[in-house]
Amino acid sequence: MAAPLLTLHNITVALRETGRRMVTGVGFTVHAGEVFGLVGESGSGKTLLTRTVFGLQDDTHLVDGTVTFNDKTLPREGYASAARKLLGGQIGFVPQDPFSSLNPTMRVGTQITEALYLAKGMPMNAPATRQAAIQVLAEVGIPEPELAFRQFPDQFSGGMRQRIVFAIALAQDPKLLIADEPTTALDAITQRRVIELMLDRCRNRGMAVILISHNLELLRQSVDRLAVLYGGQLHNVAPASSIGHETSHPYTEALFDCIPGKDKTLADIRAIRGEPVGAGFGLKGCAFAARCRYAEERCRTADLPLNDNSSTGFTACVLGRGAPA
Amino acid sequence: MSSNPLVQLQGVAKSFGRRLLVQNRSFALKDINLTVNRGEVVGILGESGSGKSTVANIITRLTSYDEGRYLYDGHDVAGYLKSESFGFKSRVQIVFQDPYGSLNPRATVAASIAEGIRLHQPQMSKAERDQRVAQLLEEVGLPADCGSRYPHEFSGGQRQRIAIARALAVGPELLVCDEPLSSLDVSIQAQVLELFVKLIRERHLTIIFISHDVNVVRLICDRVYVMHEGRIVEEGKATDVLSHPQNAYTARLLAAVY
Amino acid sequence: MRTLWSYARNNIERTALIVAVLVILMAILGGFLAPFDPLKIDFRAKLQPPSAEHWLGTDGSGRDVLSRLLVGAQMTLTSTAIVLAVVVAFGVAVGVLSAFVGGAIDNLLMRLADVWLGFPPLILALGFASALGASLEAAIWALIVSWWPNYARLTRMVTVDILSRKFIASADALGVSTGAKIFRYVLPNAFDVLIVQVTLDISAIMLAISGLSFIGVGAQIPLPEWGAMIADGRSYVANGWWIVLAPGLMIFITAFAFNIIGDMLRRELDPTSRRR
Repeated sequence: MAAPLLTLHNITVALRETGRRMVTGVGFTVHAGEVFGLVGESGSGKTLLTRTVFGLQDDTHLVDGTVTFNDKTLPREGYASAARKLLGGQIGFVPQDPFSSLNPTMRVGTQITEALYLAKGMPMNAPATRQAAIQVLAEVGIPEPELAFRQFPDQFSGGMRQRIVFAIALAQDPKLLIADEPTTALDAITQRRVIELMLDRCRNRGMAVILISHNLELLRQSVDRLAVLYGGQLHNVAPASSIGHETSHPYTEALFDCIPGKDKTLADIRAIRGEPVGAGFGLKGCAFAARCRYAEERCRTADLPLNDNSSTGFTACVLGRGAPA
Repeated sequence: MSSNPLVQLQGVAKSFGRRLLVQNRSFALKDINLTVNRGEVVGILGESGSGKSTVANIITRLTSYDEGRYLYDGHDVAGYLKSESFGFKSRVQIVFQDPYGSLNPRATVAASIAEGIRLHQPQMSKAERDQRVAQLLEEVGLPADCGSRYPHEFSGGQRQRIAIARALAVGPELLVCDEPLSSLDVSIQAQVLELFVKLIRERHLTIIFISHDVNVVRLICDRVYVMHEGRIVEEGKATDVLSHPQNAYTARLLAAVY
Repeated sequence: MRTLWSYARNNIERTALIVAVLVILMAILGGFLAPFDPLKIDFRAKLQPPSAEHWLGTDGSGRDVLSRLLVGAQMTLTSTAIVLAVVVAFGVAVGVLSAFVGGAIDNLLMRLADVWLGFPPLILALGFASALGASLEAAIWALIVSWWPNYARLTRMVTVDILSRKFIASADALGVSTGAKIFRYVLPNAFDVLIVQVTLDISAIMLAISGLSFIGVGAQIPLPEWGAMIADGRSYVANGWWIVLAPGLMIFITAFAFNIIGDMLRRELDPTSRRR
């Protein structure tokens, strides 16, 4: 099997100022052309992890572990700038908020031609560049792309703006696209359209995708494999198809059981008691132990197993629940 | 169950003047006909901008309407005397979406919960009130002694429980819930949902549940109204509407939801 | 008090807090602590540099500078407090009223405040001085009249913001009276913003009063108000530098200290920086 496109191994993210460890021992792989999901409730550390790994977060840094992209391992010294060099070229990023991630004073077309210039060196005013920009606008489903090229972001709705942000990322033809909660601010119908569009275009181009969301059901229906984060710890990596069917990690199971779904009745919903634990958990053992229905005393003291990326699936349970037989 | 519907909106409409523009669109509520019977859990399903919150505010009389009639328990609210308007507030209460903004940051939890009791049951002594507050806290799943603390010491889910306790303090028969789960963490939503289920069962509450989340509405609502751009586009039994929608918009919405 | 101390993050802020406390104590006890009569003239003792008998020396008329400084603290700070008290009470009342009533009256009051703010305090002070005679009272009136719109506008803005929050809608749903809304819901939540402004204004108004006294339209010589002291000591700068230095330094240090405290409060009380 070909080497994975992106490998995270034993990643620990800490705050620069206090050294507090926010996310510990995270490891997973993403293969070329794969759609990979990252799920976690708010405070689980998924955004902190992603932004630090891709050099976008100033107040945190990697204190342990390695990141390998396209067979090159990124250096620990000057990690953030090395990681950022990959952005806008080999890695595309669609951030959460379409309203603030577009420059309101710059025409949409210019923002795309700028991306083309930065990624491929195409001169910004050349007709070929303009054509490429219009083409990618059409590709993301913007009606009347020649007109849109000349317009400003505030003339578009939220869903359209998110498509434009996606277009900017697409234009750079990255090998990997990171989409961080790309549709949280959108209504249900627009959300479905944008997600399906994004995944369709990416699959077309053989692009790998990391789709980050707090919505387990959305990921379950959209991605190939997903990683589950809780309290800054990685608990599970599993195929999306296994969620809700085969036994998986207790937290994944509990999360799935507490979400209302199309075929569920009230009796099928089981709430998880207690309050969510945030990243920077700090204590020994499993972050989920306090709320887990299977928890034993061991769970609070033993170290959580780490993913050595030897197989595509992974379950981190002190008691060994959900591990493949 | 009394044959008298508790809430009846007949041909209600509201237009927004220049002052209230939402995302560059000024919109109106048009031709709202809505009925809620005692003991029912009625859902109002719609996206943001559909007007569902405005309907909630009209029903709780937090905002006025421009056309139509609103009958509460058979009486036209437009004819209410001052005393009846005040009495109304102990019969209908509201729980809002945002657990962080819906409690006075400068008042203790106990003070916020007791506020309604002080206003509507002034004959209660302080000791009786304190006892009521403790009972309410326990009823919503919080420790009875946490009343002396301030809202910022609690998590979002806990604050939402406090807001519910405050609404229940006046002993309402109708509880309007405007997206009560939407700002909560996924795993906490189920907890608060369970609390609602318990309260409906134990207090025989009538509930109007406003949400954009089809799956939640499907779980607890008997009937549902689907709203889109200020109008009701479909209504009926929740099980019917949400599995066999007649209206094109409803169908699109249901198909889109994960 | 303990909370204030815990807000301080470095030695500058702690020093500022200590200085502020000392200056306030000076203002309260000044009269009792003064070793000499601040107004007593004694030409035999004039222009003496700081010594064991006169810790800060004497001025051109033989008056003890330290005593004048202590009593002056009382004058300067009490006038500042009076101005602030009136301005805050009136400005906040107007601001709250404006926000609650809304509509045309709100518009009218705020436009009035805007126009009023256009008046330079100095011109107003000169006006009051010619009407009432140049005095500390005139300066106080002038500042009261020119400063209240600041608080009206600030309070109105903060109140409008608070009124838009959902806990106010909850209060409405319960039937809370307007009075209770103002005093238990709005004002306690406006307190943080107002206290920051008040603290910063302590130095601003103090500087304004001393400034007006310095140019002659406020406290008149021989009153030991600090600004007046500087005006008085102007002619002796060459051979009596201590006469000007003492009040000048006090004004500077006090204004600076309250400024630091105001910034510290703004940082600590800003809701956007507070943890949830």
